Amino acid sequence: MDKWTYKPAADTQLQPLERLQSTRREAGLVSVGLHAVTTVGLRAYLGAYHRLRVIGRENLPRQTPFVLIANHESMLDSLVLISALPLRLRIETSPVAAGDVFFTNAVSSFLSAVFMNALPIRRKGVTTHALEDLRARLVEGRGGLVLFPEGMRSRDGKMLPFKSGLGNLVAGARIPVIPCFMDGPYRALPFGCVVPRPARITVRIGAPLSFEAQPNTREGWNEVVRACEGAVRGLAGDAARGG
Amino acid sequence: MNGGIEYLFSFKDAFAQPATRVFLWIILGAFVAAPIVMLALQGRMSEATRRDAWVRYRTWLLIAPAFLAPVLFAPATAIAAVAVVSILCYREFARATGLFRERSLSAIVAAGIVLVACASLDHWYGLFAALTPLTVIVIAAAAVLPDSPKGYLQRVSLASVAFLLFGSGLGHLGYIANDPGYRAILLLILVSVQLNDIFAYVCGKSFGRRKLFPHTSPGKTLGGHLGALVLTTAFAAAMGHVVFEGTALDRWPALIALGLIISVGGQLGDLVLGSIKRDIGVKDMAATLPGHGGFLDRMNSSLLVAPAVFHFVGYALGYGLEREPRVFSSLVGF
Repeated sequence: MDKWTYKPAADTQLQPLERLQSTRREAGLVSVGLHAVTTVGLRAYLGAYHRLRVIGRENLPRQTPFVLIANHESMLDSLVLISALPLRLRIETSPVAAGDVFFTNAVSSFLSAVFMNALPIRRKGVTTHALEDLRARLVEGRGGLVLFPEGMRSRDGKMLPFKSGLGNLVAGARIPVIPCFMDGPYRALPFGCVVPRPARITVRIGAPLSFEAQPNTREGWNEVVRACEGAVRGLAGDAARGG
Repeated sequence: MNGGIEYLFSFKDAFAQPATRVFLWIILGAFVAAPIVMLALQGRMSEATRRDAWVRYRTWLLIAPAFLAPVLFAPATAIAAVAVVSILCYREFARATGLFRERSLSAIVAAGIVLVACASLDHWYGLFAALTPLTVIVIAAAAVLPDSPKGYLQRVSLASVAFLLFGSGLGHLGYIANDPGYRAILLLILVSVQLNDIFAYVCGKSFGRRKLFPHTSPGKTLGGHLGALVLTTAFAAAMGHVVFEGTALDRWPALIALGLIISVGGQLGDLVLGSIKRDIGVKDMAATLPGHGGFLDRMNSSLLVAPAVFHFVGYALGYGLEREPRVFSSLVGF
């Protein structure tokens, strides 16, 4: 008889708070249910208040792993992107969120982890070590990521240059990167504002990019970042032309 | 309308039984004595052992009241507390084995645990008993639906064993709450089982040498097993005499048999979890309870004792037989 193989959750040996703040966290039944309920509520809000429009849905992935990237100009951004995913994929997807904003204490960590399925990343001195956990997650097929390669919200609505960490995640691995561009979140909730205005939000989803052939080296990473930034800027151009 | 609902929330006579008060004094005494003993033995313990002992003690100070308060408060809260522990144990098992990724099976096991609690609240023994085979067949049936037979047997077996041990097995503790004298019976089980662990540890340290299960649990010795067997049986029989005074169980052969069931069942439950952990390849099931590991590392010894003692006492006395059965389900004409 063949031996059974067990694959414990990657987070079993962490204490409760450590687990909430860990990129090794794996969601269980209750969390998954809460992610689904939260997403249904978010879709209703974004649809009714911001008349959310999604262009290019056919470019969305059909299975995990994947990385969804976009411009970052508002607190609404990750909410918009996860709402655009089909529910089946949404529950497997984690927005990568700033650890110094969304995981500062037990309460914020709990809310970010349980309702959003968010994973923290420390922005000060992001080490390759911190990115390794995220890459392992993707390579093992444990879900998709939503992240903003600019590394911070734009203060004036103009896109910032992408940071190279994205390259560490996907170079040389079979992980599609889906470029997106959002138009409207900045008008709805710019940096420094708390109450959203009812501005219309449009998401454009571009064709998936593959970086399987790129070497997992600094040159490879730079190439990944260049291609991704170009793809998102291209979508921004489409948006400006109204295409 | 029967008095069943009032019964479920009756808290006025929580401490009416003398046996309940005796157990509470024992627990309180243990909490006072433990730090004194630890201070006295401080010189003879290594630094690591000492720190571990204090961490364990602090965790005990949290988990003992957290579990005992709802158990002692009223029958309904006792049943709810047992269901919560069942769910926590299942969660740990599922995460350690990887079964948690099978979400529909996890949902079925969780639903089974909730239904066991409902059957207990309802005082409906027929449903309570039926849920064991019914949940298992629902697990077996639901697992065919994704049409991917690879790993079918492993998924179904893991989910079934999990439900049998944590849902059905532990759930027996909840059903006991249907007996007006449940507080003393539950305390007898819980206190004896935990003392059994402590006796085995202390006896093993003092005069244990021969290892009986070196592959499963290398820390356990023949001396520890026998010492716990004698001390726990004596304790449980003596306390059983107080709990079951004047009933058909209040005979020494029956009380000693009860003590043996608790001690043997407790030690085997410990070894059951030891085997599970060795098989998976983990040291602790989780890191939820500092110094102990996970909830299962604490509840392991109760897993086998709960149904065994339930039926031993049940055959002799029954549970809440003078009460009207089916408190809620009869109201809706079901």
